[in-house]
Amino acid sequence: MDFLPFLVTQCLNALSQAALLFFLGCGLTLIFGIMRIVNFAHGAFFMLGAYVGYSTVHWTGNFWAALIVAPILVGAFGAAFELGILRQLYGRDGHAFLMVTFGLTLIMGEVIRLIWGVEALQVKPPDSLSDIVFILDEPFPVYRLFLVGAGIVVAVVIWQFLERTRLGLLIRATSQNAEMVHALGTDVRLVRSAVFGIGCGLAGIGGVMAAPLVTASLGMAPNAVIDTFVIVIIGGMGSFLGSLIGAVLVAFVQVFGTYYFPDFALAFMYLIMVTVLVVRPGGLLGKEA
Amino acid sequence: MRFLIAVAALLALLPFGLPPYAMTLLTEALILGLFAMSLDLMVGYARLISFGHAAAYGFGAYASGNFLLHTSMPLPCAVLLAGLLGGLVAIGVGWVCTQATGVSFSMLTLAYAQLLYAVAFKWTPVTGASDGLAGIPRNPGPFGVTWWSTKAGFYYLTLACLLGTFVFCRELVRSPFGAVLRGIRENEAKTIALGYNTRRYKIAIVAISFGFAGLAGALYAPFAGFANTELLFWLLSGQVLIMVIVGGAGTLIGPVLGAVFFLYMQQQLSSYTDSWALFFGVIFVLFVLFMPEGIWGLILSRFGKKAA
Repeated sequence: MDFLPFLVTQCLNALSQAALLFFLGCGLTLIFGIMRIVNFAHGAFFMLGAYVGYSTVHWTGNFWAALIVAPILVGAFGAAFELGILRQLYGRDGHAFLMVTFGLTLIMGEVIRLIWGVEALQVKPPDSLSDIVFILDEPFPVYRLFLVGAGIVVAVVIWQFLERTRLGLLIRATSQNAEMVHALGTDVRLVRSAVFGIGCGLAGIGGVMAAPLVTASLGMAPNAVIDTFVIVIIGGMGSFLGSLIGAVLVAFVQVFGTYYFPDFALAFMYLIMVTVLVVRPGGLLGKEA
Repeated sequence: MRFLIAVAALLALLPFGLPPYAMTLLTEALILGLFAMSLDLMVGYARLISFGHAAAYGFGAYASGNFLLHTSMPLPCAVLLAGLLGGLVAIGVGWVCTQATGVSFSMLTLAYAQLLYAVAFKWTPVTGASDGLAGIPRNPGPFGVTWWSTKAGFYYLTLACLLGTFVFCRELVRSPFGAVLRGIRENEAKTIALGYNTRRYKIAIVAISFGFAGLAGALYAPFAGFANTELLFWLLSGQVLIMVIVGGAGTLIGPVLGAVFFLYMQQQLSSYTDSWALFFGVIFVLFVLFMPEGIWGLILSRFGKKAA
């Protein structure tokens, strides 16, 4: 294999991986930015997305339907959890949230096991995306190209949503000064529920999109939550752009690290995180330590 | 103090009245209790939430497992040395993790545990990869004592470790050092302003806490006769955190009760249902929501005392 085609396909590989990680990272960072909550259950929402996606594809035979159904269901579940449980905890210190969402992770893992069983479930991508294209004479799966495209689209949509819409404005304002937003006549609690739902919904999309690559399995949650935290810590908690940079960085390290040093790929990821924390304790674009 | 002696005496007398199966369970409960107590030093007193405490436990288990398998080191020495080694390694870990505060600290400890977990799968000569270490013996000695290898003897060794750790930890949290830890918990900026180098205190408490968790793991390896990657898995880190919170953080005794409660529930629920973890998750969430002071905290407040 020549070097250039190899480099191009590996980079595309890394970008498709980055897209999946970005769905996770930007949801988590959005939630943290608004609520100062660290959602440990983020990986579990990602996993739930994959399983709901599996069932939707199973019943309707349509992958695109899954891409719509899963984020809505997962997002609604997230918002309900915020309304029912997390709302009780505002005013307690941040660790209470960490522990409650950790408990939720255990519960969701068990419930998913009871409903869908322990077997890993295969999700087929739609026929139009299951082909292979040749890039510089190297075969490359169309599905991964689709992921790169989807990642870019979602990043642009969220960015525009935060910058241009009224809800986006309220979200940015709430992350700066929640009390003032409340005093100006907006129900901040609704903004919080919405953001928690949106963040979980994004994790749900990520889960559906990851399912054809990695199958839906019970091991998804812990792996996803650790990768996500690494991304967000590198990028800076609460920074949207930071989560994008973190996702791309981690994906490139994972893909190239696995190729060149398969035994040390994981160590590289942590090494980058530790280096960032030592140099800039708040993350690359984070404000607080 | 009188209460402590009474409990210690009761625990010491138990082997004479209990069937062997209950003894095994009780020994395991004491080991888990020691593990939970070590985490309480960080969680309850300095509000450093470790999500990777299984790293220290698994480290201790693999260390003592290797000492016992490959040398003729006596059991108590292997256990103590493994704990000590765990504490020494944790100085480096603490140095890295305390670069961050709050949630990032928790995530760094989790990352460290996952890293060890990944290493344990690859480093076959030391860890036996996915098979783990099997047939870990309870070596005799020192001075030709073979008592440790009996059920009762191992129980007393575990009990001695637990009581020794408890007395040490209780003196530690009552000392000026403990006062600084509580200062860090309540208001770190203020503690720094008072002239304390809080980072050093945090590294010290991480090392001590990980050392005792290593001691617990070092006891578990010869207790079960094996050590595998499960002992390093994040799920165990989560379970021990649950024991601390359910039992009552910042009380030292509470987490031991939490461990006993956890093991008892696991035994009871697993005979009815496969998904006991589901019930445990629900119980944990309910405790965090409605009883953040935990079982022991609740008992203490009944008697008009406050947790430290």
